[in-house]
Amino acid sequence: MNRRVFLCLLTAAAGFAADPLPSAESILDRYVQVTGGKAAYEKRKTEIAHGTVEYAAIGIKGSLTRYAAEPDKYYASLEIDGLGKVETGINGQVAWENSAILGPRVKTGVERAEAIREGNMNSSLNWRKLYPKVENTGIEIIGGEECYKVVMTPAEGQPMTGYYQKKSGLQVKLSTVSTTQMGDIPVEMIASDYKDFGGILEPSKVIQKAGPQEFTMTLERVEVNPVIPPEKFALPEEVRKLVEKAAAK
Amino acid sequence: MLLRRAILLFVGALTALAQGRTQLDLDSFEKVWTTIRDKHWQVKPAGLDWQAIHDEYRPRVEKASTHDEARAVMQEMLGRLKQSHFAIIPAVVYSVLDDEPEGPGSTGIDARVLDGHAIVTSVDPGSPAEKLGVRPGWQIERAGGKDLKAVIDQARSNPAVHELQLTRAVLARLSGPIGGTLDATFLNSSGSKVNVSLSLTAPRGTFSSFGNLPAQAVFYENKRIGQTAYVRFNMFLDLPHVMMSFQQTIENCKACDGLIIDLRGNPGGIGGMAMGMAGFLVDKPNQRLGTMYLRDSTLNFVVNPRADVFSGPVAVLVDGSSASTSEIFAGGLKDLGRARLFGTHTAAAALPSAFERLPNGDGFQYAVANYISEGGQPLEGLGVTPDVAAELTRAALLAGHDAVIDAAVDWIKTDWIRRQKKP
Repeated sequence: MNRRVFLCLLTAAAGFAADPLPSAESILDRYVQVTGGKAAYEKRKTEIAHGTVEYAAIGIKGSLTRYAAEPDKYYASLEIDGLGKVETGINGQVAWENSAILGPRVKTGVERAEAIREGNMNSSLNWRKLYPKVENTGIEIIGGEECYKVVMTPAEGQPMTGYYQKKSGLQVKLSTVSTTQMGDIPVEMIASDYKDFGGILEPSKVIQKAGPQEFTMTLERVEVNPVIPPEKFALPEEVRKLVEKAAAK
Repeated sequence: MLLRRAILLFVGALTALAQGRTQLDLDSFEKVWTTIRDKHWQVKPAGLDWQAIHDEYRPRVEKASTHDEARAVMQEMLGRLKQSHFAIIPAVVYSVLDDEPEGPGSTGIDARVLDGHAIVTSVDPGSPAEKLGVRPGWQIERAGGKDLKAVIDQARSNPAVHELQLTRAVLARLSGPIGGTLDATFLNSSGSKVNVSLSLTAPRGTFSSFGNLPAQAVFYENKRIGQTAYVRFNMFLDLPHVMMSFQQTIENCKACDGLIIDLRGNPGGIGGMAMGMAGFLVDKPNQRLGTMYLRDSTLNFVVNPRADVFSGPVAVLVDGSSASTSEIFAGGLKDLGRARLFGTHTAAAALPSAFERLPNGDGFQYAVANYISEGGQPLEGLGVTPDVAAELTRAALLAGHDAVIDAAVDWIKTDWIRRQKKP
């Protein structure tokens, strides 16, 4: 009897151990499925997202507006109390930033590659184009839930690790090392409060820890397929001058 | 019998007091040790086994028979770090330094400690002090009923107290609630005592707040000294206004023979502004002012050259009250060979080093990051040494001269002539 129980347990354990991890590809595709499905993403050609940013520890708040258009046009404006405006954009070729504090600049190298990936409007749907290598490296408990840990490696830049809940398929955490002009900064994002924004589920709350800073981004509303005038994605005057100056050298 | 009982009571009370003191010192020791363990920019502070340090020093604090002995043990422990800005400041000194201004009201006087005395270094135009005839170079004897010489001497009795703290302690006594008055006694140019009752009015500039920081009055001054542009701003704050004003100064300065940026008395503010302003002065890409090392990241203080930069000579004026962002800006521009620095050694407080009151009443100063200027020099604890040493003196101020500005203007003129002679 004891021997039978032991064999049963052994078989169960072996069965558990042999339970194969789902492929990274299937996890990423499932995320698209559970957040609205391929068709919903494909229907989205432009969007304007509105939200807030709060650095609670130092008492700073700001508002964020993000414009995006298929396939790779992007413009975001972050207005922070006491700091002024920080604009970032991609016009398909040039990735740039113009901040009241640091001035205008053009992103190059790995930083540009990262910006272009982030600027891809339907990056969740287009993961195959953005990450040539994806790998499910195991299970980790995040917030009491089992999550698959998927490492996504781009052609250029640092890999990102996404944590997808086994049960819901939703991404709840992302960690990477972000390449910025101030250096490589470890970044960790905790996503929660998924809500339906025009047919696609998106986390309405993201707590981001980047180096010594922690802030909370709240997505309030998303305008789906609005008409965005092309000049919204044009280079600002100060950035255009820098591009011309660099070309003249 | 009664006497014996009284003696026993007295002894018992003393023992209880001693035990209370020991516990306060032990609590203070634990706070100091834990703060460094948790907040030092290196996980292993200065490469030391910090737990072993705890085990070595705690028994010595337990055995200390006086508060001074316990403080000396803690100070010795901090000395093992061999890093500046880690200090225990005795309660009596800390109380002098910790004397916060009672309000933002200002007399319009700026002052520094020169040769051990509080000296008026400038008087805001139109301020109550100017209206009553107070002039640069006057010595401030008393303010608000306090003997300033005594305040200065007490603060200077501790070697850990630096000039920035000393200046703040003096300036705190020249302020108060807006609408109030401040009685002050000066020694004027002829050495006569002048007693005045100064009104306290809104300080120069515009109140600007940033996050949890209390609102601060920030001003930006821009004038010409001959063909040289001169700018002075009291803090790296009120970013939209100060950055825009600086940009306008640069745009209007295409024909200037030089630019003087006066950071004396500027305690810093938003670190990023140093990088942003440097972008108007540095044309070469991929330059940085320095690097900040935190526990979990390293931040390069990069400079983004603007499309139009000022290419003429730049003089930056500094003193012992130029701190933090001022030091990052001045030190970085010096290291990049983009500015010549005039004045006296800076505060050596590039980082947001914090001061906290310990359970035993002493003050504890500690730094949470390290900053290395582009030339390889750590600013924290060492500060920036000017290229040209120039000091304010009471005699020169009384004669209407600012020796530091004079030195900068002379250099710019000489440099301009030299550049004109170049083929």
